[in-house]
Amino acid sequence: MTEIELKNVSYVYSPDTPFCKTALDDVSLTIHGGVITGLMGHTGSGKSTLVQLLNGLNKPTSGQVLVGGEDIWADPKEIRKFRFKVGLVFQYPEYQLFEETVRRDIAYGPTNMGLDEAEIDRRVSESAKFCGLSPALLEKSPFDLSGGQKRRVAIAGIMAMEPEVLVLDEPAAGLDPQGREEILGGIRSYQRQRGTTVIIVSHSMEDMARYSDEIIVMSHAKLYMQGTTAEVFDRAEELTNVGLSVPQITELMNTLRERGLPVPHGIYTVEDARRELLRLLKGGKNA
Amino acid sequence: MDTPFIKIEHCTFAYTDDEGVENVVLRDLNLEIERGSLVAILGHNGSGKSTLAKLLNLILTPQSGRIVVDGLELTDPDLTEDQLFENRRSVGMVFQNPDNQLVATIVEEDIAFGPENLGIEPAEIRRRVDEALATVGMTEFRRHSPHQLSGGQKQRVAIAGIIAMMPKCIIFDESTAMLDPAGRREVMDTILRLNRELGITILHITHYMNEAALCDRVVVINEGEIELDGKPGEVFTHVAQLERIGLDVPQTAELLHELSLSGVKTREGKPLPLDRLSVDECADEIMKLFGENHDGD
Repeated sequence: MTEIELKNVSYVYSPDTPFCKTALDDVSLTIHGGVITGLMGHTGSGKSTLVQLLNGLNKPTSGQVLVGGEDIWADPKEIRKFRFKVGLVFQYPEYQLFEETVRRDIAYGPTNMGLDEAEIDRRVSESAKFCGLSPALLEKSPFDLSGGQKRRVAIAGIMAMEPEVLVLDEPAAGLDPQGREEILGGIRSYQRQRGTTVIIVSHSMEDMARYSDEIIVMSHAKLYMQGTTAEVFDRAEELTNVGLSVPQITELMNTLRERGLPVPHGIYTVEDARRELLRLLKGGKNA
Repeated sequence: MDTPFIKIEHCTFAYTDDEGVENVVLRDLNLEIERGSLVAILGHNGSGKSTLAKLLNLILTPQSGRIVVDGLELTDPDLTEDQLFENRRSVGMVFQNPDNQLVATIVEEDIAFGPENLGIEPAEIRRRVDEALATVGMTEFRRHSPHQLSGGQKQRVAIAGIIAMMPKCIIFDESTAMLDPAGRREVMDTILRLNRELGITILHITHYMNEAALCDRVVVINEGEIELDGKPGEVFTHVAQLERIGLDVPQTAELLHELSLSGVKTREGKPLPLDRLSVDECADEIMKLFGENHDGD
């Protein structure tokens, strides 16, 4: 279970020019191995810059990025190794599909890794399954699929490389509730079965609440908050101050608490809210 | 009675793919939108929502049926260029990606782009740009470059660009989808203000159920047909039906639905009301379940 560590990382775009912009300012944090970490923050907070440092796509202006305890820039010639270790799925990855069939598109990464055909086949079928793509779909052109399906093909392509760390930048953006569920649910079952370290960037508090184990909040190029999902969503006011929010259900629970109902902290799914309220009702006169 | 601002009668729209297969996107659709109303359009990806929006200023033409917008029949074969031009001016659209809609390098020039193209005289353009900037709360950014703005700010500039053409109706096609929570709030507040204060008719296509809950009316489209149509409180009581077609409901409505399924009733023994969509209304309802025994706990 590969852990990621950032030590005093800063990243400056266009340094020494009038357009100089500090996207990350002395960020130190640890992303735990084998769990799903949600990464959130307002537009321009430094989230996307951060994820592009994790596989060496960008090199920090200063500081160190450690993947599995190794400084990825210790020997710049070895950086390719980390591109395979850390798989990055960009925003709107469906625009990157290019092969004639879905199967060949998913196989592109593993093929470049020099794997043999049997292994490639195994990986393609397995990752297609995690992404809810039926065997019949594999022989179709990716351009004949719906937007949501294309997105899942692109994600399957990265999963098939079996990276130790899977990073996804807004994997569910623009999809309807069912499409979100298919993608994020697939990522979660992949993570639970393989024990991969997963990082998901998202603007949806409800999705973060449902699918993350831990959450990192960025604001204005700095680390603002880090903790378990319950810990982070328990700090509603601080989140609102940096342009974020809490799930509506958490807002409801906070309101009930203000009005005197003894609901516990750290409730951020409808299921938990239902269970707590039923418990309280049983204890009261209404039962 | 006022005639509706938009009237769609028996509209069918289909496209034919590369292999000659016909895909019906909208099927014999009937819909009326009242002047000055704020209507949310919901539906899963591919349900026909965006197609519907594109019919209203003739970006797409239906195969059959009749569309009347603000008294002008768009499906009239004798529709003139001038009439179409007038329709495009009075029905504005704001799209999903804030980066794809801004054309100029300075915010106020971007807003002036529409009125300039309408051939409006400079003094009037100046007046409209200033007013539009004030309406969306972006006056202090008028000399900025759009790329320095946040997503929510960019969308507000895009909206100002539409307002400067003085439209009667604005269609928002998932304009909040790519924004962070603060950006979504900014755009939603702007939408509400345009509707309440300027009386602009608004269609808001969204996947965020909380935004739909703020509208006057919610129309749910599924497989090219209208599945549900009513006030948000009515529509969001159909929890199971909405889930079946790939949508969900605000978490407040989901919680009341779940409690109800678990056998919870009001203290009077009646079914729980499921239409309490705002956090405060839902909290009121839940506090009632506990009656007096938790007051002041």
